[in-house]
Amino acid sequence: MSSLLDWVSAPRVSLCFRYLFGPALGNNFKEAAMERMMAIWGHRVFWIVIPARDKLIWEGMFGLAIPVRAKSIREGVFRLAIPVRDTSECRDLHSVVASGVCSGKRKKGFGKGRRMSHSDMEEEEAPDVICELENVQGLVDALTAVRWKRHQDAVLELSEHGIVLIVEESSCLQAKVYLKRELFVRYDYKSRGRPRFGVSLGHFVDCLNAFSLPGQSSVIQIQYPGPDMQLLLKSVDSLDASICAEIRTRIPDTTAWNYNFEPAGATPLTFTVKSAALKEAIEDLEWPGSSIQIILEPDPPSVTLRAEGHGDLQIDFMYYVNSELLVAFQCDHRTSFKYKYKFLRATTSNMPSSVIKENRGSKLSIGRGGMLKVQHLVSIAKPLHTHVDAIGYQQPGRIAHIEFFVKPEETED
Amino acid sequence: MKFKAFVTDNGVNLLEKRFLPVLEKTGKSCHLYLTRDHALFLHNLLNGDGVHSVAQFRKEALFHDYRISSNNDDRIAFALDLSLLLRALRSAVAIASEYSASSSTATRLEIKLVKKLSPNSTQSMPFLTLETRGYKSAVIQDIPISKPLSRAQVTELQNALDSAQDLPPTLVQVPDSNQLLNLVDRMKQVGDVVNVFISKHGDLSVQVSTTLISLGAEFRRLVVIGEQTNAPSEDQNVSAQTRSSRSISRGDGQSVQVSVKHFAKSLQCHLARPDSAFYGIGPQGSCLTVIFQFFIPGTRETDKSISLHCRLPVLDSGSG
Repeated sequence: MSSLLDWVSAPRVSLCFRYLFGPALGNNFKEAAMERMMAIWGHRVFWIVIPARDKLIWEGMFGLAIPVRAKSIREGVFRLAIPVRDTSECRDLHSVVASGVCSGKRKKGFGKGRRMSHSDMEEEEAPDVICELENVQGLVDALTAVRWKRHQDAVLELSEHGIVLIVEESSCLQAKVYLKRELFVRYDYKSRGRPRFGVSLGHFVDCLNAFSLPGQSSVIQIQYPGPDMQLLLKSVDSLDASICAEIRTRIPDTTAWNYNFEPAGATPLTFTVKSAALKEAIEDLEWPGSSIQIILEPDPPSVTLRAEGHGDLQIDFMYYVNSELLVAFQCDHRTSFKYKYKFLRATTSNMPSSVIKENRGSKLSIGRGGMLKVQHLVSIAKPLHTHVDAIGYQQPGRIAHIEFFVKPEETED
Repeated sequence: MKFKAFVTDNGVNLLEKRFLPVLEKTGKSCHLYLTRDHALFLHNLLNGDGVHSVAQFRKEALFHDYRISSNNDDRIAFALDLSLLLRALRSAVAIASEYSASSSTATRLEIKLVKKLSPNSTQSMPFLTLETRGYKSAVIQDIPISKPLSRAQVTELQNALDSAQDLPPTLVQVPDSNQLLNLVDRMKQVGDVVNVFISKHGDLSVQVSTTLISLGAEFRRLVVIGEQTNAPSEDQNVSAQTRSSRSISRGDGQSVQVSVKHFAKSLQCHLARPDSAFYGIGPQGSCLTVIFQFFIPGTRETDKSISLHCRLPVLDSGSG
């Protein structure tokens, strides 16, 4: 057996997988899928991986198959593990795949330890999530806030609590948009796991934009996954005119992001400043052309943003002098950290106009090691002309939270 | 070769407020083709690229005291810069309103073809001249134009115009051009080519697709002019794509691919405030045609003195 396991060594497995996937799928997809499988199962079993649309005729070819978990199938591939008895069987795998028949639809997998039967194969699988949202523009605003450059990849995480969109750059800046389930008029969540997938943020926003036409309040339905693991968007309010979009998703990188925000001490280091003032201050700090130092002083309570480069520029927010600007302040010892200007600017550069208009306040906290957290709130309430807002009532749940995490350039203190 | 006319108030209004701004968006320069009865603004009829656009006015819609003579059957055609014409017209309107505020005499706006010696040149050049005449003074604006087209070129233009009159067998009415324009403007962000599908049972769908993304809109149960059939009931609850592919295979639908930019330009024509717009695919998928309909103000009758239509070149004849 061990010699057989040696036979199924990485290079050969890799070759085999490439063969099985065929040219239709991109190399990235193949490699990512393969890596994940190797990580989970090592080389102890032989995997056949075929695109989700295909059905493999396997019965009678091998005595035993280790069945597939439903979650794995949702992630885009059928996985069929076959303990290999001798090398001739391994070679036969090619013929197995050659006899694979396209069934046209993605079928449900089979539970662990159970033999696959045809009735299982015929079952339809419900999408992980179907949700509906009334104010598309609010969603566009929220996502645009974390779009600091044209081509950006985002990862979406789905759960029973809602959707989180995560964007990262250079291992120094991360942004998260939290879309709680309360924001949606409908939120049907069926998955047992927590599906994650990658999309291009630009494409996602461009598509959503098409649904937020001026003078129209349309309800958008978001579904994941579609028959080919796409993210599906469609307008659902009219039978005679509809808009729909499909966005290809990708398997996200599995590298762990190290943005754990931990309090720096017993007293949190935090201040809340009016969003418009924060944006203006950061824009003003551009000209010295250097990194930005954020200094928190407990006595007198103040926040200083300072840049030294071609010239010096220092902006002070004094808590007692201007409490309308600096809304809240908490700090028990002097703290100072430097942040790269371009990352700091990204936290406010695309702030939606609604945030500036409402001017609620953005909360900044400094955690252990100088990790800076910037939080904004974006209103995803219904458009203003609707009845709900006409009587001055806005549901408190209709707020999307946006968080940025910026790593410091160097530590002082 | 002579051309001289007075632009009516209605004509000024039509050109300045509605047509010239739209035509300028279609293309900066165009041919102005004047015949005994009509004035036509023609885009790209002599070269294959770009949106072919034909805006035709009966002479009474724009002018009075219309006089034209040429030894080519009283037909004159030349190329001109629409932005210059629009600027001249706007300033003529401004001058006229000043005059009318200061005196009770009505101002007259005369338009004519002249040849003049331009500065730094010994040769006389052709100009289209707009003359605003008030009680005491007159303001003259000369718009440089191309040399009038030769007899052969005018014939070529007329032939192109005649062949552009072929109607698609099926036309569907776009319910809200403005909404569609907004959508197509957003589609421009996604891709360069739009797939347009039109069926005989009143379906219109537009879709932009790339390898990573597809974005489309479908409009159903639209008003159909020309060949029409009833939608099969089994097509009711299927996706837009399935519906269109079934329709194409049955032969009652057609799709073509055109440039998103061209498509957006054709939709911008709604700024000329037409009363309705119809889209159709030319025979054998030769082009995508859009025809705008204008009503006589206050009625539901077609105003036959104004017509505007565009033909969009097809990038790929698609299927059907």
